Amino acid sequence: MPEDVQMNDSEPQPAAPAPAAAAPALSTLHHLKEIATVIEAGSLSKEVRRISRAFRLTVALRRRLAARDVSAFLAFALPASSEAYGRLTALVPKEDDTEMDVDAASPATQISIKHGLPEIEIFCYLLVLIFLIDQKKYDEAKACANVSIARLKNLNRRTVDVLASRLYFYYSYVYELTNSLAEIRGNLLALHRMATLHHDELGQETLLNLLLRNYLHYNLYDQAEKLRSKAPRFEAHSNQQFCRYLFYLGKIRTIQLEYTDAKESLLQAARKAPTTARGFRIQCNKWAIIVRLLLGEIPERTVFMQKGMKKALTPYFELTNAVRVGDLELFRAVADKFASTFSADRTRNLIVRLRHNVIRTGLRNISISYSRISLADIAKKLRLDSENPIADAESIVAKAIRDGAIDATIDHANGWMVSKETGDVYSTNEPQIAFNSRIAFCLNMHNEAVKAMRFPPNSHKEKESAEKRRERLQQEEELAKHMAEEDDDDF
Amino acid sequence: MDPKMTEVTQMFARFKAAYARNDLDACVTLLSQLKVHLTKFPSLPPSFQQTPNAVEELKLARDIYEHAVVLSVKLEDQDAFERDFCQLKPYYMDTCGIIPPSAEEYPILGLNLLRLLVQNRIAEFHTELELLPVKALEHPCIKHAVELEQSFMEGAYNRVLSARQAVPHETYVYFMDLLAKTVRDEIAGCSEKGYDSLSVSDAKQMLMFSSDQDLHEYITEEHPEWEITNGAVFFQKAKESQPCKEIPSLQLINQTLSYARELERIV
Repeated sequence: MPEDVQMNDSEPQPAAPAPAAAAPALSTLHHLKEIATVIEAGSLSKEVRRISRAFRLTVALRRRLAARDVSAFLAFALPASSEAYGRLTALVPKEDDTEMDVDAASPATQISIKHGLPEIEIFCYLLVLIFLIDQKKYDEAKACANVSIARLKNLNRRTVDVLASRLYFYYSYVYELTNSLAEIRGNLLALHRMATLHHDELGQETLLNLLLRNYLHYNLYDQAEKLRSKAPRFEAHSNQQFCRYLFYLGKIRTIQLEYTDAKESLLQAARKAPTTARGFRIQCNKWAIIVRLLLGEIPERTVFMQKGMKKALTPYFELTNAVRVGDLELFRAVADKFASTFSADRTRNLIVRLRHNVIRTGLRNISISYSRISLADIAKKLRLDSENPIADAESIVAKAIRDGAIDATIDHANGWMVSKETGDVYSTNEPQIAFNSRIAFCLNMHNEAVKAMRFPPNSHKEKESAEKRRERLQQEEELAKHMAEEDDDDF
Repeated sequence: MDPKMTEVTQMFARFKAAYARNDLDACVTLLSQLKVHLTKFPSLPPSFQQTPNAVEELKLARDIYEHAVVLSVKLEDQDAFERDFCQLKPYYMDTCGIIPPSAEEYPILGLNLLRLLVQNRIAEFHTELELLPVKALEHPCIKHAVELEQSFMEGAYNRVLSARQAVPHETYVYFMDLLAKTVRDEIAGCSEKGYDSLSVSDAKQMLMFSSDQDLHEYITEEHPEWEITNGAVFFQKAKESQPCKEIPSLQLINQTLSYARELERIV
């Protein structure tokens, strides 16, 4: 990450203990104290990036957190008389003080921080919340989250924003884990309003995503779309939030039958997501596969064979197979076999819509293979089960012809379908249109890549020594003279 | 019971009586009065306050709106239907914990789905469908609407028409008639592209006309380009494939210019 490269030389930690130096196993408490100093430095110098870096360090520590570490940190970071301290220590479970890690290097590195900084306070709330969630103590986590949100409403500092947005996320997460998302919808909306008024863009983004997630959890696609279309949009600050937004957008568009937009969003989300976010990418891919099937194109086999996703995507693989073959019976069998998986993924209604695609594909195969085939045979091949298969087949074929899926005519009197000769594709505009779309895509990609390039600042200003500067100035003079001479010569 | 409640209940009884004897004007006036009275109850959406009579009031209000919806079908007023249904929806969605489910819920939801289908608002149809729990799809009214949509999408129009005979509820008849008209237009469109020609009797059967006269009128009104000669309908096949296709020059120019512009940007 570019920020890491940049921040390494301006490390504010007092005596950065080398890993192999004095204390071989630095306690988590020590790490927490270091993080606190980073936050303090960040808030004093108003550099938001330090705070986000501090948070990333915390995430690395998450697994090693124990109750005594948390309470010791709280004692260290918050003045004992503050409300926050009282509330938070009440929430953290008391544990026996066995094996306190002794900081062997502690005399040399006495870390202390200024008390009373709101960032430290919010960080403490966040730490306790994460700890409680990891310990699966959801009721206390809910209480902690409520308290912290109430505290946040009084703060309006840019440096708190990074921590605040993480806090919102965990707040919503804890309610989701306890299945009571509907309760906080009003709160989230109020917070979003507040964030917009404060021009807190990261907070706005996070809250918008949380709200969309909330609505989509209850299948309220209509309201989600209304919110999304009215909320202010701007350049994404965080890649992860942008990926989430694209995924939710893709889902909404799929339900509203706008498959082309949906496909774009979902594929982009899957591409931009970090490789460690496997669950997210699996979900994106599942929806992307269905959308591509609904659009009438068959996803390639490599999509299903991606590392780590093979098992999860097996039902969809079989589904694609059924659609590709165009066999209604097989499709029905697969849909029934994996019905529970599809319900869990909430893609059941979409699968039902696929029936129409199966018929179309089957019909297309038939029309390519036969120059003339009777409608009764078509009905039999498509395995349309209804009272009057021939009439059904006739109307289905007529509709397919009108939609341009197949090129044929029906002879009603004799009851057969006559396929037209497929002409030479190269003599039409088709290749040119296909080329155009590919060219546009490549050019777009190039432009986006150029825009996304970030140079570390000051890299292009080399330190010019005095001589080099003199040399450069001399060269410029000569060049100017030369050009002036040329002009004279022309005259 | 509270005096306001008793008044509303009495008015509602009069409304039901007027409806039973098909006095639609009286129904409409009584309905607007009822709606005004309902605004005085604070326990209804959107405020949902907890009053001691909340359950009674909610049930009553829901009943009233359900009748309003059915009335609008009788009046053949689709806008009124939409308005009343919008007011009814929160009762179905948000009051699940407070009052027991209504018997008319699924028929009315199915009716709404059908309306969206008839008005060709397929995106909203699917959005509404997502809101329904899985077990709702087993109910005959909902299943009817879903299967209709499927047949419509696939193009099996004769299935749509036969479904008209098997309506699950008598209020559905109005929308099914409208649907029949839409289906007829669709069939005409498909036949145009799919067939070179059809005999008059076949065309009559497919477009569901009872007499040749109706067929002729329909063709002269909607599709004047079809020709009827020798007892057969010839669809417009005069546009043979153009031998010299025009090159879409404007589009090509635009595209080439955009390529040039983008390439110039590459340093």
